Amino acid sequence: TRPTAGARHEKALPKGDHDIQLYSLGTPNGIKITILLEELNDLKGVEYDAWKISIFDLEQFGSEFVQINPNSKIPAMLDTSFDPPLRVFESGSILKYLAEKYDAFIPADVRAKVECYNWLMWQMGSAPYLGGGFGHFYSYAPVQIKYAIDRFSMESKRQFDVLDKHLATNKYMCGDEISIADFAIWPWILCVQKFYKGADKFLKLEEYKNLAKWMALIGERPAVQRGMRVNGFVENSIAERHSRADFDAVDTATTEGDEK
Amino acid sequence: NYPETYSIPDVWKYNEDTMKPIHGSNLPTSGALSEKDLPKGDHEIQLYGLATPNGAKVSIMLEEINELKGIEYDAYFINIMGGDQFTSGFVAVNPNSKIPAIYDTSNGARVFESGAILMYLAEKYDAFLPKDPVAKAECISWVFFQVGAGPYYGGGGLSHFKGRAPMNWEYAIDRYTIETKRLLDVLNKALESKEYLCGDEITIADFMHWNWTKRLIEQEFLDGSSYTNLVKWVKKIGDRPAVIRGQRVLGFGDNGLKERHSRADFD
Repeated sequence: TRPTAGARHEKALPKGDHDIQLYSLGTPNGIKITILLEELNDLKGVEYDAWKISIFDLEQFGSEFVQINPNSKIPAMLDTSFDPPLRVFESGSILKYLAEKYDAFIPADVRAKVECYNWLMWQMGSAPYLGGGFGHFYSYAPVQIKYAIDRFSMESKRQFDVLDKHLATNKYMCGDEISIADFAIWPWILCVQKFYKGADKFLKLEEYKNLAKWMALIGERPAVQRGMRVNGFVENSIAERHSRADFDAVDTATTEGDEK
Repeated sequence: NYPETYSIPDVWKYNEDTMKPIHGSNLPTSGALSEKDLPKGDHEIQLYGLATPNGAKVSIMLEEINELKGIEYDAYFINIMGGDQFTSGFVAVNPNSKIPAIYDTSNGARVFESGAILMYLAEKYDAFLPKDPVAKAECISWVFFQVGAGPYYGGGGLSHFKGRAPMNWEYAIDRYTIETKRLLDVLNKALESKEYLCGDEITIADFMHWNWTKRLIEQEFLDGSSYTNLVKWVKKIGDRPAVIRGQRVLGFGDNGLKERHSRADFD
């Protein structure tokens, strides 16, 4: 943590053969992208290379990563169908870019499409309060500051209420079809449910019934479950992802282990 | 810990003493608190907001479009200190109850979130967004970067803990100062040998960053003047007549406009 930006060491990044090269980690912001890419894999057979960037080992300050994202945050990607490769950083920008490239998961209807970007942007501006604010002061800060926890708890619950009210009359964020707005929001609610220990009870997450229903609906999707495992922290994660078969290798090994 | 004896309870409880509700703000719930329609004018774009750093992004862009294409718009003042953002009419245009928010009366679309609004207007008026796919992707990345960065120097971070919180907590101020300076460094480096964030032409990426950056580099606390590329870029943009007008729309102070319906309103 420094007040300056830029590369701290020389490091080239690995590259694979697919169009999309993703440099990321299975955090809430990272899995937004891998969920979308696995959905695209299901829908259109899109394959991609995902490389793990270990932010705890400061790999985001390697020279080539900084060229792809001067902000040194994951996720970041290259589209190598361009020469030189086109860089995209910021999870929201990447979601939009991939959805447009593969023509999927953005509604076609004008007003639904506008709603999609409304909610996508809403997630971008809201997450820093939920993560950088609540998550930090509740779960990670070395000191417990009541004022900060109160402020960010209040805002987090307000956000859940906004979502819950919206989902009372909408199956997904933009209506009947799932979109990148859903993929952006879902991982952060999951984070409160599962990764910030005690937070779901602390914030009474189960009281938001429409939100809970929507979380379960999306969580059932095979592509979503695979997406969480890429560069991930969950059980049966894969450090790198180059093809659909990479998941099978882990699944087979796990099954054989269980059988033994 | 602060207070010293504080330890996190199992379940959070809203406490009105420490988090005073202000006409609907500072609540853990959302939604309308009163029945009231929004005013509407005759132009295609109806803007509801204030000339805050986020609100002025939109009025600046609309004034730029006015310069470029002669297009007019209606703008109405939403008093967020008085609960205007919790009327039924405003909640319909933005369920999150934040400004800015717009209606496009040509297709009935509501647009909320400053980033979504600027992207929407750029596409609608075919302006301030690069055409080349590589430059366009860059532009969008810088737009999203500001949306995620804003809370760290704004209400979720520095702007709150240094100056608005009831006490000064060194931990919080340090955390957000380090992040704010880091963000300024990213931007400053990005402008090295570039006129604007995405190259030679001004784009919505510049409009997204400008207001906040202007305020930040004025602060001695942040050693703001040391970001020399930002200082130049802030001044260059600040001299634009449309940017000057945009800050007056729904602005505070003597030369602010409480409503805006045509260019003549400024005179």
